[in-house]
Amino acid sequence: MLSVSNTDYFDLELTVNGTPVRRRIPTHLRLLDFLREELGLTGTKEVCGEGECGACTVLLDGLTVDACLIFAVETHGMEITTIEGLSRNGNLTPLQQAFIDHHSVQCGFCIPGMILSGEQMLRDHEQLTREEIRQDLSGNICRCTGYQKIVDAIESVSRDRR
Amino acid sequence: MKKYSYIGTAQNRIDAAGKVTGETKFLADLPVREAVFAAPVYASVPYGRVLSVDLTKARKYTGYLDFISAEDIPGVNEVGVILQDQPLFARPVVRYVGDTIGLIIADTATAALNCARQVKIDCEPYRPVFTIEDSKQMTEGFLHDSNLACEHRVEKGDIARGFELADHIIEASFSTPAQEHYYLEPQGCIAVPEPGGKISIIASLQCPFYVQKAVGRVLGIPYAHVRVEQAPTGGAFGGKEDVPSEVCARAAVAARKIGKPVQLIYTRNDDIQLTSKRHPFTMQYKVGVTKAGKLVAAQILLEQNSGAYATLSSVVSYRASVQAMGPYVVPNVSILSRSYYTNLPPNGAFRGFGSPQATFGHERMMDIIARRLQMDPVELRLKNIIRENEETVTGQKISHGAGAAETLKRARDAAGWNSSGTSRLSSDRYVTALGVATCHYGNCLGAAGWSLDGSAVHLSLLRDGSITVAFGLVEMGQGALTAVAQMTAEALAVDIARITVLPTSTDQVPDSGPSVASRNIVMTGQAILNAAQKLRPILRTAAARLLDCEESEVSFAGDRASNTLTGAHIGFTELADFLYLNNYPMSTTGWWHVPSLKFDAAKGAGEAYFTYSYATHVAKVRVDKLTGLVKVEKFWAAHDVGRAVNPAGIEGQVEGGVTQGIGWALTEQLVFDEGRVISPNLSTYLLPTAADSAEVDTAILEFPEPEGPWGARGIGEPAIIPVAAAIANAVSRAVGKQFYQLPLTPESVLSALSSISG
Ligand code: FES
Ligand code: FES
Repeated sequence: MLSVSNTDYFDLELTVNGTPVRRRIPTHLRLLDFLREELGLTGTKEVCGEGECGACTVLLDGLTVDACLIFAVETHGMEITTIEGLSRNGNLTPLQQAFIDHHSVQCGFCIPGMILSGEQMLRDHEQLTREEIRQDLSGNICRCTGYQKIVDAIESVSRDRR
Repeated sequence: MKKYSYIGTAQNRIDAAGKVTGETKFLADLPVREAVFAAPVYASVPYGRVLSVDLTKARKYTGYLDFISAEDIPGVNEVGVILQDQPLFARPVVRYVGDTIGLIIADTATAALNCARQVKIDCEPYRPVFTIEDSKQMTEGFLHDSNLACEHRVEKGDIARGFELADHIIEASFSTPAQEHYYLEPQGCIAVPEPGGKISIIASLQCPFYVQKAVGRVLGIPYAHVRVEQAPTGGAFGGKEDVPSEVCARAAVAARKIGKPVQLIYTRNDDIQLTSKRHPFTMQYKVGVTKAGKLVAAQILLEQNSGAYATLSSVVSYRASVQAMGPYVVPNVSILSRSYYTNLPPNGAFRGFGSPQATFGHERMMDIIARRLQMDPVELRLKNIIRENEETVTGQKISHGAGAAETLKRARDAAGWNSSGTSRLSSDRYVTALGVATCHYGNCLGAAGWSLDGSAVHLSLLRDGSITVAFGLVEMGQGALTAVAQMTAEALAVDIARITVLPTSTDQVPDSGPSVASRNIVMTGQAILNAAQKLRPILRTAAARLLDCEESEVSFAGDRASNTLTGAHIGFTELADFLYLNNYPMSTTGWWHVPSLKFDAAKGAGEAYFTYSYATHVAKVRVDKLTGLVKVEKFWAAHDVGRAVNPAGIEGQVEGGVTQGIGWALTEQLVFDEGRVISPNLSTYLLPTAADSAEVDTAILEFPEPEGPWGARGIGEPAIIPVAAAIANAVSRAVGKQFYQLPLTPESVLSALSSISG
């Protein structure tokens, strides 16, 4: 259970992109605002603020969540990965590289959420068909690409590691 | 065929790395020091007169700083891009829900929004009009001098005589709805006051030079005192053509008054309520055709819902009028296009700019005619398609590169087109069919916008051999930066790794017009060639000195200069260093403008656009006769682009355009209640998801355009233009009923299925 020391503020402890973080935050702060405003992790985007677009997708203990839908206090003691935490020392993940190689990026606004959703999809499934990728990706809206090259990128990583 | 190093080669995007790591900073990601925050205060009635604005409650809110309105404008209260009919801050008359009266300024964005909600506006309501029909019927209380925003005509041959020659005269009416851009990043800017009354703007936008002029006029300062930089922009699609002029000019007025940077970013709901959409059209077609399937006459009326202000209606209407009969040869034509004011958010630029609407008209019409003649729809199109040395409906002879017929054949063959058109699936419940649609698209701004149709680049060689390119158009997702790098590397015969494309800013290059009308490749490409042509003699002189040979013996290729006789060569890095040490000029500005166009606007006769792109799409749909649900299963798209600069980028444009077209055709519905959008969320305004979009098979055809760089023409908009028409044609063939309206919702499909007539 959360121990709320005061009705308005909370001492949040969690791990973000591998680094322990302690912050006193207002209890009503959305995870999205905590990441963007408090930690300056602006790679996580807001589009709808209602859980409909997936632009704010982050990994919470390895599972995708919409950061606009949960309060930061709900992540107490947990581990968060944002888009900034995927690449280590300038090394892109195979999926990030595949997004570049398959021309999957246009304006880029949906891309952080797309990549995190793709990472989880790849972790959850040994193999993925294009149809499965399309179904799984339907919580992430892109207005530019028509999705085809995003599907190409995820499919290629799924195929290459077999 | 001539071999190029970069043109025609799939090139990874130079902006991709920052976008896959989250490093790219969009407007809302930028830190701003000492900033204050703005939120719009706008009319909540669709039409009326503001009697009072009560700030009592807003002022009590913690964080409230100021209210900015018409009285604070030092220059002119006017932001209309073509007609001067649109105030920056409306007062006293408001013409749509969203007409902005002022800005609340507060110390946080949340406080600004909360304060804005507390402002009480007392209005004397007028009787509003929302539809084209009601706007036409209005007899008094017009929105502006009259309710007619603009009109355009195209007259060719003798229309009465044309219909006499026809064996069949076929009439039909169509209508198409609005469409919301739904770029994922909303409108936004930061306006920063600079010493000496100057101002800097950074914004999500398409047209920095529009913003520069708007801000200069509104503040009453020279354009030279306004610097506008584009932030990485999260989608635009036409929605950030003229609207950012309003957003930025409002923030600029606030920044000027308060003396601090002002950040104004629209919420999603405000963005949808306040900003432009695709124009709804109603269209009446009357077409005469011979037994053999030759088009002999077309009489067309196009009417558009302009919304509350004209914004870009006149150029949308112009484009729709000259393209209303598609890429077909018709000797006798009478086209009238009109745009009417209503009390809805102003409609404006949206990818295709009147073309998807007009193409829905002419392409549905072609299928209806084919059915009447019992002719294959592709065959009918091929009988009438424009070919080299034939004339458009404006009487413009197409002398080069008319690949329209080839796009038809390519898409037909790729899709395995069959004349019968449908195939029933195992159960009676589903039926699949193919539908075809063809279009042309006049590149750049055309006769109606020729004076804005020039663009620049500025190339600089640095001592270490690296090169910067500043261009006057923008990257908004379409791949401009990468294409500019490719074209520069090609033009200078250097390694692309040398090239850095700078963020677009008004202080880097001359006014280059708007980033619209699929004009970046053509305009910037030609400007790059012009700049390279100016640099070449300098490079040649220097290389000849270094290689100790005649200038005429120097050739440039593969990142070096060579002596063609001896084969001796020097690398570009060495050459740049030599240029630097010997005080050669190492930078230059390139410029290109569209060749002058002869056009008689009264008759709509002459050269409407300097060149045209062509495309044919074939859609395969599956209709569920039980539920009325339409699923697009596959798309084939054949595009004549003149010359492909980045083929992977073209495919991306086409796949994205097709998906946006699927949304317009099937699911996107902007619902208004008394002028208020009641479907602003993604749960009510349904964008296609990865599961709804179809796999697209793109064929790139190259019929070079002599006036295009390396032969290239534009692709951004042709990608969406035929989509909805192809889908509607497929659905009509699948169920054997004709559809005249979009979107093709399950309800509309079921009601067509239950109606008796075909
Ligand atoms: S912003 Fe969180 S789902 Fe859209
Ligand atoms: S790349 Fe622009 S929204 Fe996906």
